[in-house]
Amino acid sequence: MSGVVVVGVVPNPRGQAALEHAVAEAQRRGARLVVVNSSRGDALVDEEYLQGPPLRQLEADLTVSGVPFELRQPVGRDVAEELAAAVAETDADLLVIGLRRRSAVGKLLMGSAAQRILLDVDCPVLAVKGPPRNGG
Amino acid sequence: MDALTDLAAGFADALTPINLLFAFIGVLLGTAVGVLPGIGPAMTVALLLPVTYVLEPTSAFIMFAGIYYGGMYGGSTTSILLNTPGEASSIMTALEGNKMAKAGRGAAALATAAIGSFVAGTIGTLLLALVAPTVVDLAIGITAADYFALAVFAFVAVATVLGASPLRGLASLGLGLYLGLVGTDVLTGQERFTVGVPQLSDGIDVVVVAVALFAVGEALYVASRLRHGPVQVMDASGPYMTRSDLRRSWAPWLRGTALGFPFGALPAGGAEIPTFLSYASERRLTKHPEEFGKGAIEGVAGPEAANNAAAAGVLVPLLTLGLPTSATAAILLAAFQGYGIQPGPTLLTTESTLVWTLIAALFIGNTMLLVLNLPLAGVWVKLLRIPRPYLYAGILLFASLGCYAVNADPLDLVLLLLLGGLGFVMRRYGWPVAPAIIGLILGPIAETNLRRALAISGGDLSVLVDTWFSRIVLLLSFLALVVPIVLRVVRGRRSTPEELQETGELRHHETAAANREGGEGS
Amino acid sequence: MTAPEPVPAPPGDVGSPATGPPETAAARAGRNNGELALTVLLGVLGVYLVVDAGSIAVPGSASNVGPRFFPYLVGGLIIVTAVALGVRVFLGDRGPADESEDVDLTAGTDWRAVGIIAAAFLAHALLINVIGWPLAVTLMFGTIAWALGARGIVRPLLAGGITSVVVWIVFVKALNVALPGGTFLELATSWF
Repeated sequence: MSGVVVVGVVPNPRGQAALEHAVAEAQRRGARLVVVNSSRGDALVDEEYLQGPPLRQLEADLTVSGVPFELRQPVGRDVAEELAAAVAETDADLLVIGLRRRSAVGKLLMGSAAQRILLDVDCPVLAVKGPPRNGG
Repeated sequence: MDALTDLAAGFADALTPINLLFAFIGVLLGTAVGVLPGIGPAMTVALLLPVTYVLEPTSAFIMFAGIYYGGMYGGSTTSILLNTPGEASSIMTALEGNKMAKAGRGAAALATAAIGSFVAGTIGTLLLALVAPTVVDLAIGITAADYFALAVFAFVAVATVLGASPLRGLASLGLGLYLGLVGTDVLTGQERFTVGVPQLSDGIDVVVVAVALFAVGEALYVASRLRHGPVQVMDASGPYMTRSDLRRSWAPWLRGTALGFPFGALPAGGAEIPTFLSYASERRLTKHPEEFGKGAIEGVAGPEAANNAAAAGVLVPLLTLGLPTSATAAILLAAFQGYGIQPGPTLLTTESTLVWTLIAALFIGNTMLLVLNLPLAGVWVKLLRIPRPYLYAGILLFASLGCYAVNADPLDLVLLLLLGGLGFVMRRYGWPVAPAIIGLILGPIAETNLRRALAISGGDLSVLVDTWFSRIVLLLSFLALVVPIVLRVVRGRRSTPEELQETGELRHHETAAANREGGEGS
Repeated sequence: MTAPEPVPAPPGDVGSPATGPPETAAARAGRNNGELALTVLLGVLGVYLVVDAGSIAVPGSASNVGPRFFPYLVGGLIIVTAVALGVRVFLGDRGPADESEDVDLTAGTDWRAVGIIAAAFLAHALLINVIGWPLAVTLMFGTIAWALGARGIVRPLLAGGITSVVVWIVFVKALNVALPGGTFLELATSWF
């Protein structure tokens, strides 16, 4: 099997949880992992965009896991759009995302990226809530 | 000493709880707005001007003191962490400061900038307090013709020496002078260039022009070429200053102050040249030349001190002569005028309490900055996460507030938009904005003095060169006008900051000469 | 000098193929027709100053240097500068476009965003006295944020609404600045 698992990563516990599950899934399926870490690039600073030491740490972790992986860091669009684009382009079998805990009012005001992803994406989506449990 | 007694009285006035609160608010607002990308000190002061309308003068100027130094410091924070100098005078700070931040020494770079600003600000303000009465004594005797000569010198210096292109500086100056002419002639009551619009007979409000050229022009310009990503690393971590950092910083702080204050105090002032000179001299004097270009702490300490000392120096001609020599100072002058106070040689006698309270407030604001900024740098940086669409929409919101609050007339907002359009095309084609602001504010003062001088002489133009003072100043103005243009033809452009970082040499003939003088003086 | 009106789009420098990309190509090399136009306008302003100064009434009581003198000086300075700068620009000299932290100098000019922002600002100026400052400014804020690429409609409007109401309350209720609040907000806060 040479499928593709796409995962959206942000540098926080929920991103970490999503990544761990994605790695486990990729190992189980013998699939290639496409790691997406994006930024809208509309502010001078975006702490969710991986750079420097945390970025190297991520690459090291992925290398250790032994899963063939590809890291994408697109800038300019929404996370939801970028993930949907990555899924469509790689014809992925699975998309793994981290879920933010948000109140009903917060969801109403801010919209939910997860919701838009679910609507936009054609493949199965695995939504993970942090803090991490043992995947697998 | 007399000045010190006055200063002590100023402290007594400034150190009331309510005034301390205003100083605190000023420092906080100034730093917060100064940190925001795209907003330099002049725009900070222009945007916050309306905040002070409702206050009585003393409180307002105490707040302004905080805003003034806060805006300066906020700018250098962004320069160091993100390598985004908001204005020419923070370029040199950004050069080494950002390299330090990238090498994980961001906190040390911020610390040397903060303490350097404090040291330079304190010494500079002290010098201001000591020098001001002397300058006023000298200035009491100057004639209207002398004053006109000084204004011409300030015009020429701002237009041709500081900018990248002298002709474009002059063009900007001309626009400012024109805007200053619109309205009713003070001496004869005749309307000039009001094109029949009754609201224009009072003249165009300085706040409207300043907010338009800085805030609205900038917002439109950014909108036209909005940057999308890439996002930057920002790292304020690492240890604060080590003992060796301190040992390497104190001399640059003092040398930077020595360079910055006189340049700021001269009518040809501005903080750009002394920061360049400070960087060049630190590079030459350092015991660690190999670190320059890779994050040398001296390269942050010196220019940053020079920048703040120049900011204090700029207040000397402003408070003693009513002569603004930077865009920020011009807006401060407008704030004085808003309270019906005309800065000039008589200010120190007529508004003695106010001036000394203001100077005391500068000390207080400066100290507050040091206390606030070291621990709060991380908080300021959070402001940088505001997405650009919201940031510039917010700038326009405050522009609307400040401009409408002046006269409560929507026509002012239409004027704001038109002038904002002018600011936009000026930025687009590299016409500097500062000369327009100086021309607008200093133009009417220059005209009044010119006509006063000519009225006394009965129209004889030779009165303008009647005293040695005016002869020398006008000659200097002529040189300042011609030399940069000639140099440009003969030697090509001035070296860029990057080249300076490479070589440590300023190629521009004129500044290189000034460099030697400055080097001996420090 | 109204800004948002596109300065005549530089048709590319002489000799470049007419099909070349209109804005960016001309912005990189050759003469800058936009700046040339601006310089011509500056010259026109100078001439206007000199001509119109002649019509300023000089009261009989005025001394020999009346209200016309300084305008003549300024007009003269502007004309000389405009001519000199015009020649330089015509020969291909270009100023360094203002660098700013948020500006991408390599990007083409987004006239659409500039136009929308100018229109939104103008609309808000005309609406202030009708619907109050907070509402007018909220609409402006939302439109501008949207034009600059903010996501969604709700969020920009909400951010603008909260900011403007907070600012209005601080300035009007605490600092006594005159700023029309609109019927609803003024009623709602009349108990202050």
